[in-house]
Amino acid sequence: MPKPSLTTLSRGEALEIHSRALDLLSRVGVRFEDPEVAKILLDAGAVRTDDRVLIPEEMVGEALKNVPKKIDLYDRDGKKVATLGDGALIFNPGSAAIKILDYGATEPRTPTLEDLKNLVVVVENLEFMDAQSTALVPGDTPIEIRDAVRLYPILRYSRKPIITGAFTVENLPVMLEMLKVVREDAWRRPFTIFDACPSPPLSWSRVTSRNVVDLAKAGIPSEIISMPGLGATAPVTIVGAATLHHAEVLSGIVLAQAVSRGAPVIYGGSPALMHPRYGTPLIVAPESLLVSLIYRDLARFLELPSHAYMGLSDSKLVDYQAGAEEAYSALAAALAGFDVVSGPGMLEFESVQSLEKLVLDNEVCGLVKRVSRGFGMSVEEIAVEVVEETVLRKGGNFLLHPHTRRYLRREVHVPRVWDATPRSRWGMRSVYEEAHATVLKLLKEGPYHELSPDVLAELDKVYERLWRGAGSEPKYV
Amino acid sequence: MLAEDLKRALYMAVIEGDPEKALGYARELLNTGFDVKQIVTDVLAPAMRVVGEMYERGEYFIADLIASAEAFKQVFDNVLKPRLSSSAASKGVVAVFGTVRGDIHELGKNIAKALFEAEGFEVIDLGVDVPPERFAEVVESRKARVVGLSALMTTTMVEQARVIEELKRRGLRERVIVVAGGAPVTEDWVRKIGADICGDDAFKALKKVKELLGVV
Repeated sequence: MPKPSLTTLSRGEALEIHSRALDLLSRVGVRFEDPEVAKILLDAGAVRTDDRVLIPEEMVGEALKNVPKKIDLYDRDGKKVATLGDGALIFNPGSAAIKILDYGATEPRTPTLEDLKNLVVVVENLEFMDAQSTALVPGDTPIEIRDAVRLYPILRYSRKPIITGAFTVENLPVMLEMLKVVREDAWRRPFTIFDACPSPPLSWSRVTSRNVVDLAKAGIPSEIISMPGLGATAPVTIVGAATLHHAEVLSGIVLAQAVSRGAPVIYGGSPALMHPRYGTPLIVAPESLLVSLIYRDLARFLELPSHAYMGLSDSKLVDYQAGAEEAYSALAAALAGFDVVSGPGMLEFESVQSLEKLVLDNEVCGLVKRVSRGFGMSVEEIAVEVVEETVLRKGGNFLLHPHTRRYLRREVHVPRVWDATPRSRWGMRSVYEEAHATVLKLLKEGPYHELSPDVLAELDKVYERLWRGAGSEPKYV
Repeated sequence: MLAEDLKRALYMAVIEGDPEKALGYARELLNTGFDVKQIVTDVLAPAMRVVGEMYERGEYFIADLIASAEAFKQVFDNVLKPRLSSSAASKGVVAVFGTVRGDIHELGKNIAKALFEAEGFEVIDLGVDVPPERFAEVVESRKARVVGLSALMTTTMVEQARVIEELKRRGLRERVIVVAGGAPVTEDWVRKIGADICGDDAFKALKKVKELLGVV
């Protein structure tokens, strides 16, 4: 089945960048804030120099041999959703927004746990959002447990796989426990992916490196999200940032494999250009996008599952810029063949979520998936006989030919919210208004795919313990 | 197959837009003793109504509408029409039907046409996107007693008023019963434009036309 694809690097170019990154790892090395994590690598053959860990090429080679090339991803209820490594194109909301933009507002506000629940219900019912994410950081919960509480409404109300992450070392085991009470074999058939971000350039914080270690021990997939800031924490040149990015991701892979050979790791990223004038981190600048396209090919070169922060916008409102940035980055991500794409709903430098934008972005994801799916090339689809019959005997009208109805639904994607009406049927509403109407409808009608009462009771126990540990009464949504 | 099963099968064949199956079931139904009017009113019209609703809900596309209309048309033309003995007193009464200018929806008009034909009316179908002058011309030349103006959109309903104006201008208004039909049409609208019958429902419209003609 022919399908469009976007390749940026030749094999030779990928090899060159890979070699340069290996060079960086062995000569400049990586700084680990946590000495215990550094020790894991040193014990496995890395070399200490001052406060850095030099990772020799052989170690990287060994890790790349052991890291899985494919990861099967399941939903909460144990149904297989996709195999990562085949360009699965799992769209999910951009994660961990610290603000939410209400319909019609110009100033975003701090979200609540209730907002997160609402977002979960909306995403659960958006056809082209293939996974949930812990998309909002609820401001009405104790700061020390804000990472873990986010799992609760998702596990409770949604079946979709979850892209998440911890902000602490301590809460990760609790989060893993929450997964395990929801499904005993959450390890063997994973339905969550945990993001872990190195701190550019070439360093790892205590929290994120320990997360990688603990996830590798548990066998839960981790997604190494390098975040080079072009012109700030990374070279301003595209290939320079991509090389640094690659080295950082490799260091995460080496760490995970040093902890547990065969630990599942996804090659991820979120490069950002530092705006030359304002210093803001532009996630969807063309330069950031190019870095993502480069590392996509590096992941392909190493045959690793891949992730991108694309399909989002840096705009402050759900406006023209938001739509344009969303669409061009989502299409690029799809054509490049990423497995996991985080971003929909997101505005303002990965800091603000909007439910209306999620609905509109879902529309973009649907269009993009249609383009990337390509088309069939069977004799019946080429349809020479249909043309012959219609032109010579049916007056040239293909609408009447059964072939049209046979292939219409398979071939044609019909947008849900996008306006394609003739003016006479147009409701005089903008797509933003339509999206808001859709949000209200989904919140009212669901459906909510709630956990069974007995499983929920078990989840509630872990959840309550989490809150009590922070000295608070649990808040249920 | 039992009569009820046959009705159901014909109903589904029309909804699914399968003319061949529809023809077969319609023939069998006639053979089991059903008359044309029953088949139209109990099966075909409800099926076409469902098709229209499925289109409105976004489940059906234009190609599906056309396939169903084709199934309907084939059953009507090939199986039902030859059986129309039109025993009713409305036999030979000329009715002119069309969808008004700017509107290309003909489902409602086609159902009405089928019903009126089943009653013995001689229906002259002007098709879709019909200008006021054309309605008036045919009413005059064919000495029609009924004119049916179909409009599915609120934006094209105004054309119904223009047809009535044109009929008045030519001194034809008093000679015909004007049915203003289509989903958006209301009794208020019918009064406002000076039509005689609200054809939001083809069954109801037929009944009223017959009452006005005194052929009930």
